[in-house]
Amino acid sequence: MKKLLIALVALTIACGSEKKNEEQAFMEELNNTEENSGPTVSEAVIGDILQQIPSPLEIAVLLKESGKKYNASLLNSPDNLPKYNSNYKKALNLGIYGADLGYTNIYEQNQDGIKYISTIKSLADGLNIGQFFDIETIGRLATNSKNLDSLLLITTQNFNAINHYLQTQNRANLSVLLLTGGWIEAVHIMCSVAAQDPNNKVLQEKIGEQKVILENIMLLLPFYKEKDQNMATLLEDMQELKKIFDRVNITYTYKESTFEVVNGVMVIKDNSTTTIDITPQDVMDIRNTTLNIRNKIIS
Amino acid sequence: MKRIAIFVWTLVVLSAPDATAQCNSEALSNQCIPKLASGFNFLKSYKIDGEGGAKDKVEYSYVFTKGTQYMINICAPNQPTDGIVVTLYDSNRNKVATSKVNGQYISAIAYPCNATGIYYIQYTFDGSSTYCGGSALGFKR
Repeated sequence: MKKLLIALVALTIACGSEKKNEEQAFMEELNNTEENSGPTVSEAVIGDILQQIPSPLEIAVLLKESGKKYNASLLNSPDNLPKYNSNYKKALNLGIYGADLGYTNIYEQNQDGIKYISTIKSLADGLNIGQFFDIETIGRLATNSKNLDSLLLITTQNFNAINHYLQTQNRANLSVLLLTGGWIEAVHIMCSVAAQDPNNKVLQEKIGEQKVILENIMLLLPFYKEKDQNMATLLEDMQELKKIFDRVNITYTYKESTFEVVNGVMVIKDNSTTTIDITPQDVMDIRNTTLNIRNKIIS
Repeated sequence: MKRIAIFVWTLVVLSAPDATAQCNSEALSNQCIPKLASGFNFLKSYKIDGEGGAKDKVEYSYVFTKGTQYMINICAPNQPTDGIVVTLYDSNRNKVATSKVNGQYISAIAYPCNATGIYYIQYTFDGSSTYCGGSALGFKR
């Protein structure tokens, strides 16, 4: 169709009597055709922002690497599944359970992990995206801790595929909820661990730098506030959280990086820095507000 | 005469094989995942489709966090990178890293991040024959 349009445009130019420069006119028409057949600006913007949001897995790895013990009580119980009847709740809790699954996987808690896999499959089926969740393979991998790498890989791929599919099906609102849910759960887990270790500056900084991700989420939610009352309410709740994060200062200093090639890999030495100013009171307020939002989502 | 030339050129372009259809960037990005170095957890796969040269760059973005090491690699159909260069920019568009150095194309970048923020992962084509590739992003602490 696009080729036909281009051909028609070319024919018009070739046969027309306008004095306008032909090549210029051709390029203008071509550009107009491209714009009309492409995605609307908002859809493209939403997709760009969504892809930036990091995986909650990074937080789980941080906690494990820093020696924090596994704590199943921090997670949303799979028993809560029957509470989630609307697509809104299903999508948010799919994100939450996805983050929980990542946490159980990283800590190699296979028995808990299997429960989350089953819960996630049910929610995904309820949203008609169950086809992207290969429960058979994941379940098999989860029974043996030697399969951890494969398990992490396939679950990440499945969630990536779900997000991609939702965006291509004009259901990016669900993708926004899924990623928001995952982020809230990761922040909740991190804040809960930080509360038990109040002098841990690294954890406090990690909480503070979540400001960057929240700013992304706050760009997305307003797209849906007019059409979806649930998302408007979530936006209001998240605005309360943003007010607290606004007290956190992140100072970035750029300095040119250096590099060396080691075994065919270019290893960069990053000489830029960020400093994160966050107080224990900020951490406590972030924790409480996140907990309130999460409680609304999981109840 | 010029009008006829444009018309003929358009017909030639339209009748030529569709270069974009030949680029299986998804398969190439999947090939890149197991090539992430040991210890790196997979995060994202990126398709690099220059649409046969119609596009001069393909760009993605991601929030990198301080204290985490990231790896970005490149896979191409023929040679290791087929002239595909990955360049990393910070949120202010300062160049942080590039995979082309001294005329050599490196197929993987390891980036131990020291500054949290949005980073732009930009793929460009430097003498590429296929304008087609894939890439994977991984992380480790």
